[in-house]
Amino acid sequence: MSSVLQLPWQVPFGIFTLCIDPLNIIFLIAIAVLVICAGVYGIGYMRFYQGKKSLVSHVSFYCIFVLTLLVIVSANNVILFLSAWEVMTISTFFLIIFNDEQESVRKAGFIYLVASHCATFCLFLMFFLMAHTAGSMNFDLIAKTSFPPMIAVTVFLLSLAGFGVKAGFLPLHIWLPHAHPAAPSHISALLSGIAIKMGIYGICRILWILGVLPDWCAYLLLGIGVVSGVMGVLYALGQHELKKLLAYHSVENIGIIALGLGVGLLGRNYHNSLITVLGFGGALLHVVNHAIFKGLLFLGAGSVIQQTHTGQIDRLGGLAKTMPLTSSLFMVGSLSICGLPLFNGFISEFLIYFGLFQGLFMLPLQGAVFCSLGIIALALMGALALACFTKVYGIVFSGEPRFDLKGEDPGMLMIIPMLVLAGLCIWIGLVPQTMVILTFLAGTYMSRISYFAVDLNIVMVPLSMVIGMSFLFLSLILGLVLLRRFMVGRKDMPVREAWRCGFTRCSPKMQYTSSSFACTIVEFVKNLLLVRSHGEEIKGAFPNKISLGTSVHDASDENIFRPLVKAMFVWSKNIDAGRVRYTQMYLMYIFLFLIFLLAWKLT
Amino acid sequence: MITTILIHWLLTLLFAPFFIGVITKVKAVIAGKIGPSLFQSYYDLARLSQKRSVYSSGVTWVFRLAPMIVLAAVLMVSLMIPIGIFKAPVQFAGDILVLVYLFALVRFFMIAGSLDTGFSMEGMGASREAFFSCLTEVTLFMNLLALGLLAHSISLSEMIGANYPVSWNLVGPSMLLIVASLFIVLLAENCRIPIDDPDTHLELTMIHEVMLLEHSGVDLAFMMYASAIKFLIFSSILVPIIIPVKSLDPFINLAIYLGGMTGLAVLVGCVETSMARLRLDRVRHLLLISFALAFFGLIVTWWRA
Amino acid sequence: MTTWIDASCILIVFFSLSILATYRIVGMIQIYALQSFVLSLMPLFLHAGNVSSRDIVLSLGTMVLKAGVVPFILFWAIRRISMRSEIKPIIGLGSSIVCGALLVAGAFWVSMSLRIPGKAAADLGLPCSLAVLLLGFMIMVTRTRAVTQVLGYLIIENGIFLFALSLFDSMPTLIEMGILLDIFVAVFIMAIVLNHINEEFEQGPDPEKQVKPREVF
Repeated sequence: MSSVLQLPWQVPFGIFTLCIDPLNIIFLIAIAVLVICAGVYGIGYMRFYQGKKSLVSHVSFYCIFVLTLLVIVSANNVILFLSAWEVMTISTFFLIIFNDEQESVRKAGFIYLVASHCATFCLFLMFFLMAHTAGSMNFDLIAKTSFPPMIAVTVFLLSLAGFGVKAGFLPLHIWLPHAHPAAPSHISALLSGIAIKMGIYGICRILWILGVLPDWCAYLLLGIGVVSGVMGVLYALGQHELKKLLAYHSVENIGIIALGLGVGLLGRNYHNSLITVLGFGGALLHVVNHAIFKGLLFLGAGSVIQQTHTGQIDRLGGLAKTMPLTSSLFMVGSLSICGLPLFNGFISEFLIYFGLFQGLFMLPLQGAVFCSLGIIALALMGALALACFTKVYGIVFSGEPRFDLKGEDPGMLMIIPMLVLAGLCIWIGLVPQTMVILTFLAGTYMSRISYFAVDLNIVMVPLSMVIGMSFLFLSLILGLVLLRRFMVGRKDMPVREAWRCGFTRCSPKMQYTSSSFACTIVEFVKNLLLVRSHGEEIKGAFPNKISLGTSVHDASDENIFRPLVKAMFVWSKNIDAGRVRYTQMYLMYIFLFLIFLLAWKLT
Repeated sequence: MITTILIHWLLTLLFAPFFIGVITKVKAVIAGKIGPSLFQSYYDLARLSQKRSVYSSGVTWVFRLAPMIVLAAVLMVSLMIPIGIFKAPVQFAGDILVLVYLFALVRFFMIAGSLDTGFSMEGMGASREAFFSCLTEVTLFMNLLALGLLAHSISLSEMIGANYPVSWNLVGPSMLLIVASLFIVLLAENCRIPIDDPDTHLELTMIHEVMLLEHSGVDLAFMMYASAIKFLIFSSILVPIIIPVKSLDPFINLAIYLGGMTGLAVLVGCVETSMARLRLDRVRHLLLISFALAFFGLIVTWWRA
Repeated sequence: MTTWIDASCILIVFFSLSILATYRIVGMIQIYALQSFVLSLMPLFLHAGNVSSRDIVLSLGTMVLKAGVVPFILFWAIRRISMRSEIKPIIGLGSSIVCGALLVAGAFWVSMSLRIPGKAAADLGLPCSLAVLLLGFMIMVTRTRAVTQVLGYLIIENGIFLFALSLFDSMPTLIEMGILLDIFVAVFIMAIVLNHINEEFEQGPDPEKQVKPREVF
């Protein structure tokens, strides 16, 4: 099922072997689509900076980034994988800090760099533990060894920690909401669409390598999916910055993917090939889908930001009139990310739901309980994502402009990539068979069962019914539009000012803002989020000009990582205070270490 | 296939406004009034469909297209619901997912359309709709889960058409919970009184009606038809569960179905007259109670399995 | 008959849950009375249709005492001291309901490993009584008003009653009557104590928020 390419490479233990198999083909498709679209978009987007900044380094890092992505996904050797992984991290860092004259951007870049390197530490440990046990550095050979349970579990946990940072599992996601808004929009699209998927790819690869895992690993993965998904979308609801909101939605979608992987693993443990294929296949299809629609949304957000120079949702408004194309394309992306029928998000969620329902009926009680938890969480995520994206679309594109921020549709170079991505959303939504079969192939490959051993009719028949219904739905809408035209006939359709319930002096600033739209939900779950309201109380009969706002802060950022970093600072200060400041002392350390090494190696 | 679908749509369109009329009549009678005719909703729809639409300035295609999408989606959902003796033309494993997500699509365009007018009242209604539907959607899903476990199927027709005369004895307790929870979902999704008031058009406390404020003429007719069909769909799910009697004679079956539907509409009317509209921050508690009921029902179902 | 027993069990748990979701003390007492009423009907269902005079006496006694006298005393107590009608929960009603639902799940989970010999595995009595017990505890823990403490205690007691009913088909009548009398006396004493405590138990040392108990007498 796989083809291998080998090239000479002079690195100890490293062999330059690339391998294409059904698993990484899915990721290669996602990379190819998004890299081309974001690249073309980037040409248009970066025109703004022409003459102001050197674009040479940006373009070259972009190329390096793309190259490393391809190598990571197809590498068949641990050393090659890790080198490409590191080069990707560094090139991403430089891509993020393009606007390095801003302090916040530099800070975001450093958070990303530190988080990535903490993760890489886990990856080093994990890969060397694996390679040591297997006695080989090549993935295909490692996959052939059977690991003792202790080591398999350790490797799995390390991979969750290491790849989880890149993927953005809660609470390891803290770099995402910083890095995505800081980067130029086409880079954010790639970060969210592809770079975080590398973490998912890593976990998929590890699941492929480790044949047998205890049950609780599947439950852990499922639980991570549920928590990341629900919390991600709740955080997203509270955001007021367009790209930050989209970044939190990446956490949510990664949660859905992890949920799918968890179901697949659960099915694999119980030797139920149908659940396995549905879980893994659904998760992988969601990888591709998320790359497409999140890419589309970030590119759309980029157009808005380029035109209006702000990403603050509450400052925007009424852009649909001046940016009709961008707003319609953003609408397609929103409908897809909410998992609504006719669009691609629905298909992958349908597969994951289907797997969960099969698990509900076929697995023993414990598995069934977790499956129903997954179903309920997925339903909740869907409803909350809908609230979130109606908010974004409604506040940014609908209504009247709140401030004098108007934009026009950007040039063709930026519109066409978005059109392509939107077309792909609809293509997978209406004619999903090709991608579904590809992902099912990958799913069977991941669980090492034969594709033909699974009775896929159980899911393909309902899927074809869904497709039939989609087309019927489309024609019904068309029919109703025609019917309406017929009923209206030649009557004129006057356009009047909206009826404001008798209130005559309305200003556009009185429209519902994103805070007020989301506050019903945010208020409801305030125990789970860090909600802060700032502003002063109204005092007296004639109060001065006052303001009120709420903001949602990241609990894992403020309650876990900031105290941790602070403690580390204190600790290193203490060490610093006790150190001896003589050069000779350091020389002596080196000398002692050399002697230690000699003694260790010689005995 | 096509003919069955068309017949099903025809039946849906024919029956749907009647039950709305029943509710209005019951409310009027209890209040001591004669009330409008049972067929008043048909007259309303006919009157509205002859009028022209007035658009508010600055609305985009989202607002203009929303009524068509909403009506089309609701009609699609109706295909998955058995109406009396007429089996659902579309049945497959997992159709409940399509059902729930088509309703989500309806909600998306309702909210997006209402925000399109750019007035804060609409925003208020939209925000509340988005919040309450989060709770009802999860509750609905949980109920469908429990029903699916009972019927061992994820096709709606099998879930509600399963042989319940036997199972009411076996699964009575969990059925009790599911029915209670689904009834609250029905009230919430169809904006009935303890949650929302379908009669007021100008209050800060309303949810669904305020989102229709700017629609007029044919568009409003489409929206009203859609909400009537939505009520028909939810009660058609509930009635076969509550009255699981099946006879060999199709006419008796049809009579049972129509009687059950009218009875449910009367019940809704009674609830509407006997209860006050809940304060807005209490609505979520009611919805949470329905969630807890569904959760409890699911647990009992498992306990019995 | 099992259907009726099961339905009553479910209703009793449901009433406990709805007490958690109620924000007015009068409503809570009313729901408690309803719950006790359903509970008092249960002895009639226990022996598969063979209702003995003992069952009827027990049922009537429970009904009169728990659904009649106890709520009456409580109503009398709150009217006597004319307290505010809204409860003061420590955690919000929404969180209470969610926690309550989780507690119910926990009760069922625990009962899975608590099989009682001679009872069918699908018997709902044990998990439901545990759930009512836990919910009663939760009401006592999360509500600050003195009356709600009493109500929590009474709900716990209902849970224990349900437990006893589901566990032993035949309790000696004398013991049952004794228990009922105990509750009656307990509530009576509590009503008198309530007159003195009136509002709520003292909070922690927070000088700004501390409410000084008003004396009535």
